Amino acid sequence: MLRREKIMNEDAQNRSAQPSSLPEAAPNVAKSRAVERPPTVPEAIKTPPALPEKNAAGKALLAGISLGLFLALLTLWLAPVWREWMFAILPESKFAMQLRTTDIKQLRKEAQRLEKRVASLQKKHAAITPRLPYLIVDTSENRIQVMRAGELLHEGVCSTGSYVLLRSAEQQRQWMFVTPRGMYQILGKRVNPVWAKPDWAFIEEGLPVPPLGSPERFEAGVLGEYALELGDGYLIHGTLYKRMLGMPVTHGCVRLGDEDLRLVYKNLQIGSKVFIY
Amino acid sequence: MTRQNFGVALLNWLSKPFRYLRQNRKAQFVFFLSLIFFPLFIFVIAVVLPVARNPFEASVESEALETSEALPDSTPAEIVTGRRELAQKMAALEINQAFLQTRLELSRQDSICLIVDLLDSTASLEVRGVPMRRCKILRSRSSGLARRLRNQGRLHQWLAAPFILQEQLATLPKAPIRIKEAPKDTIEASESKGEDLPIEQRDAEFTLHFDRNLTLSVEQAQPPSFSGRLRELWYDLRRNFNEARDAVTALMHLQLPQHRLWIEIELSREDAKAIYRALPTQAGLALRL
Repeated sequence: MLRREKIMNEDAQNRSAQPSSLPEAAPNVAKSRAVERPPTVPEAIKTPPALPEKNAAGKALLAGISLGLFLALLTLWLAPVWREWMFAILPESKFAMQLRTTDIKQLRKEAQRLEKRVASLQKKHAAITPRLPYLIVDTSENRIQVMRAGELLHEGVCSTGSYVLLRSAEQQRQWMFVTPRGMYQILGKRVNPVWAKPDWAFIEEGLPVPPLGSPERFEAGVLGEYALELGDGYLIHGTLYKRMLGMPVTHGCVRLGDEDLRLVYKNLQIGSKVFIY
Repeated sequence: MTRQNFGVALLNWLSKPFRYLRQNRKAQFVFFLSLIFFPLFIFVIAVVLPVARNPFEASVESEALETSEALPDSTPAEIVTGRRELAQKMAALEINQAFLQTRLELSRQDSICLIVDLLDSTASLEVRGVPMRRCKILRSRSSGLARRLRNQGRLHQWLAAPFILQEQLATLPKAPIRIKEAPKDTIEASESKGEDLPIEQRDAEFTLHFDRNLTLSVEQAQPPSFSGRLRELWYDLRRNFNEARDAVTALMHLQLPQHRLWIEIELSREDAKAIYRALPTQAGLALRL
């Protein structure tokens, strides 16, 4: 027991003494250990043993293909970017275009001919714009513009289709309240128009639909002073709900305020164009 | 654990599945060969060949200009410069002519069309040749392919006919439809009358794919809202996915993926929204750049 305690004390002393003596003795000690110490662990055991060659090659092929496919997908994903880079870095002669003919006089003539052709096309294009006043309706911002020969005569607010899809489960019918886009013509002009209410006007109010031609279908005073017909039942007319102007709330017609309606009625004739977008 | 130790541990962990490659030359060779084959193949098929073949579909053949051999070295410098200036002038005139011809062709149709003039920085909606809305382009960018075509004097050939819209993708719906069930009686109708109108404040970004390999992307100038950012992220993902899908489809049909000539323009939100909503499904486009 005593002998064992003595050995342990000596070991503890040696361990506590080591750090202070190590810096000076370290190079020699390391050297002597490297020389003296027998190779207790064979080097071959330290590195993992190589797998059988056939198995390793198969695994490598599988891993390579998997990673390669992933990289190929990445390349495909980035292909447009790569192509742009290639267009940017590939050399090209500055203005590589050359002229077919060597005769400079003939070239100048050709340039003059082109100038004339462009000028005539510009004239042709300018002639398309209507000479008569026309109306542009913007359904996206609910605004109107009265124009004449490309010049702005008047600008104002309007209300256009609400994009509401009204569904009647009982009658299995549906209506979409949209202002149609494109080019239209004024087909008719009316003073103090009377509204002939369609079926949806009753269904929307939760009322029974009266038969066609019934006096219940006709209502005066709700369309304002004037109405201009665009065809297919679409009208440009006035409104009682002036605070709604500038908002998409109609059933497809174009509603205007009183002043704007008067101006539009005065300027647009039967046959005048209405452009809706 | 220090950062360095963590790095070493991570590397060890990552290289663990590949430890059989360490002392096996044959396995290393097989691995690198199979790793490189597919990406290289795709790179050649999807990048190198489309660039080399120059995916450009002319709508008309050139009348006045054509690419040919360079002038001989002995040509005097003044002649070369004079001719180059003349060539540039003629190319600009050819582009103008193509643009006007396209607009005239579009004016014969009844549907709404889009006119994008990058030289004038304007985008307009026209029907029957009458401009309905003219928008200022605040910023624009285009593919390097456009510059190459211009330098080759072939741009006007590409622009000389209307582009037809094939596909569109956007952060906002084409029509803001709201479904309303018809009321059963007048009481229900009067109750629903009090409902407020929803005010639409959607961000507007969209991509239009036209025929003849043209893609037009429109971005709004205003920074998007938070929900707008999420929508934009989803829109970008779909756009990238569609591009990759097209490339894969082309490869499956044993065709080379084609490089699309893209143009990006920035408009105000209102202009972008109005243009997107107004364009019909097969809208025509006249372009000058």
